[in-house]
Amino acid sequence: MAEALLIEQRKGLALASVMARKGVSAQDLGKAFGLSALPEGPRSARIDSLSFWGTGPGTWLAIADRFDPGWPQRLEQIAGRLASISDQTGSYALFRLSGNGARTLLQRGAAVDLDPQVFGPGSVATTVIAHIGAIIHRDEAGYDVAVFRSYAESFRDWYDSVAATV
Amino acid sequence: MRIPCPYCGERNSGEFVYRGDAAPMRPEGAEGLFDYVYLRENPAGPLREHWYHAQGCRNWIEVTRDTRNHVISGAILAREARR
Repeated sequence: MAEALLIEQRKGLALASVMARKGVSAQDLGKAFGLSALPEGPRSARIDSLSFWGTGPGTWLAIADRFDPGWPQRLEQIAGRLASISDQTGSYALFRLSGNGARTLLQRGAAVDLDPQVFGPGSVATTVIAHIGAIIHRDEAGYDVAVFRSYAESFRDWYDSVAATV
Repeated sequence: MRIPCPYCGERNSGEFVYRGDAAPMRPEGAEGLFDYVYLRENPAGPLREHWYHAQGCRNWIEVTRDTRNHVISGAILAREARR
């Protein structure tokens, strides 16, 4: 992460929440999607162009890199008996933060420890930034921050004011 | 105050909603309903209590907190606390 600080809004994604039905394990669901298991804690897993972020016990946010008209029925066909699928494509705005100071900037808003020792690639945190509910995900190259769509502008305002100090 | 959420890890108490004593169980009928709604123990010492992680994993958790000094000795998901 040696390049300049950058924020971009990620467009064209498809999102859905996945909630395991009673008695269905993270392994059961993972196998259906071709993984050994879905993450059992606040971590992410990825297969092909589909990511899963752990958001709570037995709940995940599924994110496909490209929206297609078959979403989320495609997920229902795979896991319809094991989980409740709810389309969230229009519910969240996703921001991509990368480059120098991205962690410092996020750390000024989020009261969770983002030190690489405890928040390495694949970590997820559902928390709050400037009173805005946010899901933070880290990968090798930077951070994703998902906020409820109607808060996108407020989140950008917060980002702009803090970016000036980093 | 920091609360150790079993799923999310340690978080600021501001992310949670407080409900209070976890001990009262709703009675089947009208008998005992007044006590269930209004009466609480208020102990000076360890108390098992319900907190809702509204800004995190959105789960009810059962926290054991010493009311004299706020020392928290444990936290489990409320669904697992109900035997």
